[in-house]
Amino acid sequence: MKQVITFTVNQEEREIAVEPHRSLLDALRSEAGLTGTKKSCDVGECGSCTVIMNGKPVNSCLVLALEARGADITTIEGIQPSGEEVHPLQESFMQCGAAQCGFCTPGFVVMAKALLDENPNPTIDEIRFAIAGNICRCTGYTKIIEAIAKTAGTYPSCTNGFAHKAPQPLREAVATALEKA
Amino acid sequence: MTYKSDIIGHSVKRSDLIGKVTGDAKYAGDLIWPGMLYGRIKRCKVAHANIVCIDTSKALALPGVKAVLTHENVPRVLHAGSPHPRSVSVTCDQYILDSKVRYWGEGVAAVAATTEEIAEAALELIVVEYEELPAVFTVEDAQKPDAPLIHDRGFGHNLVLQPQVFTRGDVEKGFAEADFIIEGEYEGGRPTPAYMEPNVCACQWDGNGKLTVWISTQTAFMVRGIMAEVLGLPLSKVRVLVDHMGGGFGAKQDLFQHEFLCALLAKQTRRPVRMEYTREETFLGGRSRHPAKVWLKQGFRNDGTLTARQAKVVFNSGAYGSHGPGVTIVGTSALLSLYRCDNVHVEGRCVYTNSPIAGAYRGYGVVQTYYALDIQMDEAAQKLGMDPVVLKLKNAVREGDIAPSNHPLIGHGLEDCIKHGRDIVGWNALRQRTRDKGVVRSGWGIGCEMHGSSAYPGIKEQGNAIVKMNEDGTVVLLTGTAGLGTGAHTALAQIVAEELGVCFEAVSCIHGDTDVVPWDIGAFASHTTYMGGRAAQMAAAKVKEQMLARAAVLMDVAASELEVTGNLVFLRDEPARCMTVKEVVSAKKGIPAAQFVGSATYHPTKSYSFAAHFVEVKVDTETGLISVSQVVPVHEIGKVIHPVGAAGQIEGGIQQGIGHTLYEDYQIDMKTGRSLNANFVDYKMPLSMDMPPIHTVLLETAPDPGGPFGAKGVGEDPIVAIGPAIANAVYDAIGVRFRHYPIRPEQVLKALREKELLEEGAIA
Repeated sequence: MKQVITFTVNQEEREIAVEPHRSLLDALRSEAGLTGTKKSCDVGECGSCTVIMNGKPVNSCLVLALEARGADITTIEGIQPSGEEVHPLQESFMQCGAAQCGFCTPGFVVMAKALLDENPNPTIDEIRFAIAGNICRCTGYTKIIEAIAKTAGTYPSCTNGFAHKAPQPLREAVATALEKA
Repeated sequence: MTYKSDIIGHSVKRSDLIGKVTGDAKYAGDLIWPGMLYGRIKRCKVAHANIVCIDTSKALALPGVKAVLTHENVPRVLHAGSPHPRSVSVTCDQYILDSKVRYWGEGVAAVAATTEEIAEAALELIVVEYEELPAVFTVEDAQKPDAPLIHDRGFGHNLVLQPQVFTRGDVEKGFAEADFIIEGEYEGGRPTPAYMEPNVCACQWDGNGKLTVWISTQTAFMVRGIMAEVLGLPLSKVRVLVDHMGGGFGAKQDLFQHEFLCALLAKQTRRPVRMEYTREETFLGGRSRHPAKVWLKQGFRNDGTLTARQAKVVFNSGAYGSHGPGVTIVGTSALLSLYRCDNVHVEGRCVYTNSPIAGAYRGYGVVQTYYALDIQMDEAAQKLGMDPVVLKLKNAVREGDIAPSNHPLIGHGLEDCIKHGRDIVGWNALRQRTRDKGVVRSGWGIGCEMHGSSAYPGIKEQGNAIVKMNEDGTVVLLTGTAGLGTGAHTALAQIVAEELGVCFEAVSCIHGDTDVVPWDIGAFASHTTYMGGRAAQMAAAKVKEQMLARAAVLMDVAASELEVTGNLVFLRDEPARCMTVKEVVSAKKGIPAAQFVGSATYHPTKSYSFAAHFVEVKVDTETGLISVSQVVPVHEIGKVIHPVGAAGQIEGGIQQGIGHTLYEDYQIDMKTGRSLNANFVDYKMPLSMDMPPIHTVLLETAPDPGGPFGAKGVGEDPIVAIGPAIANAVYDAIGVRFRHYPIRPEQVLKALREKELLEEGAIA
C-alpha cells in the first residue's frame, strides 16, 4: 500500500506516493524522476547513490523513502548553482579527467560537496578518506582526488594537458605546494 | 610528415563529461516509458543438471505478472556468446535458455511484471525440477577421460577449441644451446571487470514488428546482428541504441541472456520491458577473466641471451566458450614476443568447466601469460646475477622483430620505456640501497608488456566513419564506435578537427544508433582511436578536399595552393588572402555549397604499444599485508591525442591490475559450484585508500603510420605490466617469490614463516 510523503529535494518541495519498503534511491529515481543518482550495488557497498540528506552524505539505497519524510535532500541534479553554470567541483571533475564512464561520478561529486561543506580545506588524506566509501572502477581515483583538491585550493592545478610531463607523484607535489603556501 | 597541431596532443574538454558531472547523462537504466514492465531472471542453484520440468503456473497466476519464459517457449537457436563476425575468436555454443544448466547461477526462466517486486516474487513461484549431473570445476578434472562432457559438441575432453600451438625455430636446439634453464608454474585467479553499471537493456517493438533495444554494450552492431539472427529478423528490423554506458572493460562485448529475454518479453506483452541485473547477477551472469595455469620454461646463455622458450597454457573458460578461443590465441601467441627469442614452442588450451563464464576482459589472455613471463625473467636475472632491468633491456623486442601478429615491429618502444623508467626512478641507486630489516620492508620491481591495437589477424577488422560539413562550417562525425567511458568520441572529434583545420568545438559526434551511423565492429582490442580514428581522419580528408576545391573557385586560385587551419582557408604563400571555412561553405544567393561529405573505410593491420611499470611496494612482515606505495608507469603509445584521457586509461588500468594482483578473485565453492563472493564487500577491489600516487609518463617515440597522426592504442596495456611488477617488487622486499595472483596476506605470512624455518635449518 503506497504512502504519501513530502520532502524537499534540491530546494523544491515534492510529494510522492511510495511503497513502504522502497528505498530513497528507488523513490528518487522512479517516483521523483531524478535518475542522476545511480544504482550500482543497492546494498550500501559502492557509494554511487550518495545524496546529501539533512546536511550529511548518505547511501540513498540504505535509507527507506519513508525515513526521508520532511527531510532536506540534495541530489546530483541540485549541485549546479543554476542552469547556466556548473559548480566548481563539476568544473574540476571535467578539467582533471576525474570522470570516465561517469556512472560513479554523481556519487563522488555529491560526496565531495558534502566534504567541502564541512571541511573547506581538506588535506589529501582527508579527501582520500572521505571518498573511501565510493567505488570508481575507471580512474584509479588519482584524478578524482586531484579534482577535489583543486576545487578546495589544496592542490595547485590538475595535470590537464600535462599528464605526460607530470613532474612528481601526487603526494610530493601536494606537500611542496603546501610548503610554499 | 609533421603536423602543427593545437588540437591533437591537447586535453580538450570532453564533450560527454558535462552530462556525467551534472547527472543529466542518460544510461539505459534511466529510461522509463508509460506502461513499462520490469523483467527478472530466475537462476539455478545447481552447477550441472538437466531440467526435468518447470512449473510456471503459480507465477503466471500472480497478479501483475504479464509473461513467463522458459526453454520451452523461447526460440531454440544455437548462437555465439559474442558475435565477432566470421572470426575464430568466439564459440557458438549457447541458447537463450536451454534444457540443461552448466553452472551455478545460470538463467532458467524470465518474468515480466508491472513492478520489480512482483517480478521478484514471481521468480520464487517458478518450480524447477532438476536431474543433477556430475560437475567439474577445475581444468584438471574437466580434462580427465571420464569427466562429464559439459557440451555435446566441440573437441572432446571439454576442450573449447583444438589446442593452439605457435612455434618459431627449434626449441630443442635452443635448450641444447642454453647454459642455464629455468622453469616454473604460474597461476592466475578469477578477477571480474566489475564495471559500475550493472548490465541493463530495455526493449520495445513497434506495430511494424521492429525491435528497438536500449542497451549498455561495447558492440551495438554485434548485438543487432546476433539479435536479428536469433529472433529471425532482418537487420532493418532491429535498432540498437547506446548512449552513455557505465564501463565495460571488454566484458560488455558479449550478448547476455537477459538481452534476448527482454526482447521476447516485450514482444509477448506488447509493452516496453526493462531488465537490469542486480550487482549479484552482474557477477553471476557476467564475464570474468579466464583463470589460467601457465607452465613456462626458458633457456639462457650466461650473458643473459635467451635461447629457447616453451610454454603450456590452460585457460578455464567456465560453462561457455564466449571469448575462449580469442583469449587462448592472443594470450598464448603473446609468448612469442616481448623478449626476443629465436626458438619458441607454446601451446594454449581452453577448457569448459561448470564455473562462471569467462570472457573478454581488458588484457585478453595476455595478463595471464605475461605475468608468468615477466616474473620468470626476474627469476632468471636473479639466478644469472644480473639486474632484471639489464636482462630485460638485453632481450627486449625491437624494430624489425616479428610480433605475435607476424608483423615486423616499428620502433624501439619497449627499450624506450625501460630506459626512461630506469632513469626516472633512479633504478641503479635503488638496487644498491641498504635493505630494510624492520617490520615493514619496501621493494621495487619492474614489469613490462606490449599489446596490439586491433584484433588483427584474428579478426580482419574494419573501421568506418562519415564526416559532413554544415553550411555554417560546423562538422558532424558519424561513428559506430561505443563510448564506454574512455573519451573515444572526443579523441575522434579531435582527429577530425585537426585534419579539417577547424576548431575542436566545431565538431560534434553522432554515435550509438545502428540505424544512423556506419557499421562498426565495436569498442575493444585497444583499437578505437587507432582504427576508428584513422577512418575518421580519412573521411575528414575527403571533406577537406571538397571544401578546398570550392574555396579555390571562390578565391580564384588552385586548391593545391591552399591550406586550412583554425577555421581559416588561406593561400600558403600569401596568408593574408584568406576566407573563413564558414564563408566557403555558407549560402550564396540562398543556396549553400553542395553537401561536403566524406565516408571512409579503414582496414587496419596492427600496431603494438609498449609499457614498463616501476613499482614500489611495502610488505608488512607481521600482517602479511602488501601495499603499493608508488607506481611509475612509462607507456609508449605513439602520438598522444588526449593526454589526460590517455593517462586516465593508464591509471584506471593500474587500479584494476593492483586489484587482481593483490585482492580480487571471484570464488566458487569447489564442491557445489556456488558463488561465494558476488558482492562488493567480499569481492575486494582497490578503494581510494588503497591507491598509491601514480606518476604517469607517456612517450611518443614509436608512432605507427597505421594510426591517425601516428597514434596507437592504450586501453589494455596498463593492466598487463602492473601485476608482474608488483610480484617482482614483493620479491625484492622480502625475498619470497610468488608465482600466482592474487597474492594474499596469509600466503605472505606462510611463505615468510617457511623461509625463516628454512634459514634456521640451514644455520643449524
